[in-house]
Amino acid sequence: MPSRRRFGLWLAAAAGYAFLYVPLAIVVVYSFNDSRLNAEWVGFTLNWYRTLFGDDAMISAAGNSLAIALTASAVSTVLGTAAGVAMHRYPSRLLSFLVLAPIAIPEILMGVSLLIFFVLLNFTLGLVSVALAHIAFCIGFVAIVVRARLAGMDESLTEAARDCGATPWNAFRYVTLPLIMPGVIAGALMAFTLSIDDFVITFFTAGAGTVTLPLQIYSMIKIAVTPEVNAVSSLLMLLTLALIIVASKVSPTILRSQEDPAR
Amino acid sequence: MNTIFSAARRALPAWLPLALLLVAAPSLAKDEFHLYNWNNYIAPETIKRFEDSCKCEVVQTYYSSNEELLAKIAAGAKGYDMYVPTSNAVDALIKGKKLMPLDQSKLTNLKNIDPRFLNAYFDPGNKYSVPYAMSTTIIGYNDVKMKELGLPTDTWAVIFEPKYLEKVKGRVTVLDDEGELFGAALKYLGYSVNDTDEKHWKEAQALINRAKPYWAAFNASSYIKELTVGNIWLVHGYSNDIFQANLDAQAAKRPFHLVQGMPKEGAVLAVDNMVIPKDAPRPDLALKFMNFMLEGKNSAELTNLIGSGNPNLDAVKYIKPEILKNPAIFPDKEVAARLEQLRDLTAAQRRLRSRMWTEIKAGR
Amino acid sequence: MTVAARRARSFGRWLVAGPPIVYLVVFFAIPSLIMVLASFRTPGEFGGLAPLYEGGTLDLNLDSYARFFSETIYARIFLKSVGYALATTLFCLALAYPLAVLIARSSKRYRDLLLLAVILPFWSNFLIRIYAWMIILGPNAALARSVNGVLAWFGHDPVPLLFSAFAVLVCLVYVSLPFMVLPLYANLEKHDPALLEAAQDLGASAWQRFWRITFPLSLPGVYAGAALVFIPALGIFAIPDILGGPADSLIGNVIKQQFLETRDWPFGSVLSIVLTVAALAIAGLAAWVARRNLGIPSSAKEARA
Repeated sequence: MPSRRRFGLWLAAAAGYAFLYVPLAIVVVYSFNDSRLNAEWVGFTLNWYRTLFGDDAMISAAGNSLAIALTASAVSTVLGTAAGVAMHRYPSRLLSFLVLAPIAIPEILMGVSLLIFFVLLNFTLGLVSVALAHIAFCIGFVAIVVRARLAGMDESLTEAARDCGATPWNAFRYVTLPLIMPGVIAGALMAFTLSIDDFVITFFTAGAGTVTLPLQIYSMIKIAVTPEVNAVSSLLMLLTLALIIVASKVSPTILRSQEDPAR
Repeated sequence: MNTIFSAARRALPAWLPLALLLVAAPSLAKDEFHLYNWNNYIAPETIKRFEDSCKCEVVQTYYSSNEELLAKIAAGAKGYDMYVPTSNAVDALIKGKKLMPLDQSKLTNLKNIDPRFLNAYFDPGNKYSVPYAMSTTIIGYNDVKMKELGLPTDTWAVIFEPKYLEKVKGRVTVLDDEGELFGAALKYLGYSVNDTDEKHWKEAQALINRAKPYWAAFNASSYIKELTVGNIWLVHGYSNDIFQANLDAQAAKRPFHLVQGMPKEGAVLAVDNMVIPKDAPRPDLALKFMNFMLEGKNSAELTNLIGSGNPNLDAVKYIKPEILKNPAIFPDKEVAARLEQLRDLTAAQRRLRSRMWTEIKAGR
Repeated sequence: MTVAARRARSFGRWLVAGPPIVYLVVFFAIPSLIMVLASFRTPGEFGGLAPLYEGGTLDLNLDSYARFFSETIYARIFLKSVGYALATTLFCLALAYPLAVLIARSSKRYRDLLLLAVILPFWSNFLIRIYAWMIILGPNAALARSVNGVLAWFGHDPVPLLFSAFAVLVCLVYVSLPFMVLPLYANLEKHDPALLEAAQDLGASAWQRFWRITFPLSLPGVYAGAALVFIPALGIFAIPDILGGPADSLIGNVIKQQFLETRDWPFGSVLSIVLTVAALAIAGLAAWVARRNLGIPSSAKEARA
């Protein structure tokens, strides 16, 4: 590639990363801020991390959020991939509507309606009800990305595999899945992000003893969102990053699409 | 090794929900008291002392507005043993038949409460509720800036009159709460905060619209931060918040004080009350907690922590003197006469005011 | 196709499409139907909904719908929200495209890292990220000072960056960015660089290569990203609440108000239904335009045809 064009691309991308990271840098730096407020730099302190390690409520809330996010993203990735593949191979208005509508519907309506639904079924509210709710709105995100990945891809490769005697599952696993893997990964990452930071739907579907990190943090909004929140967020980010790096080392094929010998 | 990992990987979606279910399984060990409260509305020491005295565990979850609480209850949420709503929300809950009548024989400390706060309009005889803590909605200001600009600090005019607002344009915030803002406007115009005459509401709306271009924002959450940092100089806010903001400002060694200004026209008083839901799993623990919080010593801990008003006469001897002296937290009789609590509106009134509020907040 | 093959295909279809459909019907469609029904009911006097059967007769009416169609302010706010959502989508696209191209064309070693780097900031809490923006856009911070310094040079009054439409838009773009980058990346990753090399050999300029090869091939990714940014942006309320100026309320704020302060669930449901229908209609329209004008096949069937 001509280096001049490459430079322009690098510059634009760098601007994008700067846009993403300047606020994050402030978040991390301010976790060391010696002030109760997240407003101005006063001085350096490690106190907030000390407070965090003694704050059982905050830690258990973070743990709940992580557990729900891992479960919700896993299940919604599986269901969403299935939906995306189905939307590509067997397009149907019903499926398209069911997939897109949870993304469109205002969260507060979905939260209230799920709460009423769970109460009608006498389903005990708790972590499970929150996870079920999260899965419902994450499926759409995964499905749309997977379908976009499949767009323009015709089925000849999969059909060839079938013709060679592969079962449908093997044809999916060894032919289709590697081809759509970047879409599946992108969908999983989005689902995880949506779940770990959700407030409105979680507020309505959480049980009497269930606290997730966003619920804990938003309840502090009227008093002060102290740098302890910055500390827990920074650590949670690192933990999640570590989990993903470990997962990718354990199963090296998960994150990489098939090597293309032509490249 | 690889096969183990790849098998584990494939089973991942399966065992995660299982792990979740185990986490979610109810803990059968201790007695649990589920308290649904505002965040930072009870001192940790108080909770600890209660847990020791009742040999139970207090499980706290939080809401940050009465409306959120009411919406969740209206949709059927249960499992809580106690809520702490403000009077107008208690009014709605009582009328909606969502609360359990109190067994007053268990509330031996009820006599500690100042009679002025008993037998409130929404709950004569305190059949369902017991006062917990209170705050007023007043003016908060940066004393250095207001002196510099020569602005009055004891009247709502400074929030509503363009001749004053010009000097602080873009440095004023008001609460993002239709009840509170209409209340302040009605008080300034000389009416009651609970006036429901549409003509008066239209006057209040006009007053607000006239002042709106000078306001920086409608904000109920981060205005305290901005006030403490010095970006905002004048706010319409809660007395607790301004008290806390001043503590933060002094801790950060700022060259100004944040002062509460009680407007002479009067203001909104918000009393938060302890109530027990009709379907509470452990009403016995709830009553124990209520009686515990009616003791002066326990009630005073909150006031000392966040500067909230206290309806408990027995608490006076435990409260820090500088807080007792603060007229915005403990107003004298003359000022107290001009404070009013907000009442719940009928559905039709709510619709009308909501429509006016939408026009204010989204108008050109 | 033989009967057996058709039956096998049908079975395969239900095996793949079945689970997500069942899940979404149970946990989305049925709860939502409860609220759709609510839009025809009367609000409860103290909150929630009035009983369905009032004195033995079914209490259903179109009052809330009539209110929506008769009071134009709601339609106006709705259009304003569409404007914000559209602006957000376009800015996101402009910012996300170079990022996605860079990631897609990087070598395998860096690709995963660069991708994770895009999404990592969004695993921190939403509220403190918004607070970080309040610090960046604050009146005493470097950005506001330099902008107002330039404006002062032109004799213009200082302009607040915080508590303004600008702040709302910046934060909307910020929170939506990864949802544009990820779908674009998923699509761009499969582009064959050989096509571009061939075009270059044939004398196409860099711009031509982009506009006539890369961009059209990436359109499914563009549409997916646009859908995942535009549609949620329509209903957002937290950002205008925290950072908006006195007149920056959007339809999401009005809907939230109906459910919380006003306790008028039927009207809140009506607004939500209108929002959902409009969002789906716009998405459907865009997809139809894509298929018609640009010949993008949207499904395997069309690709085969």
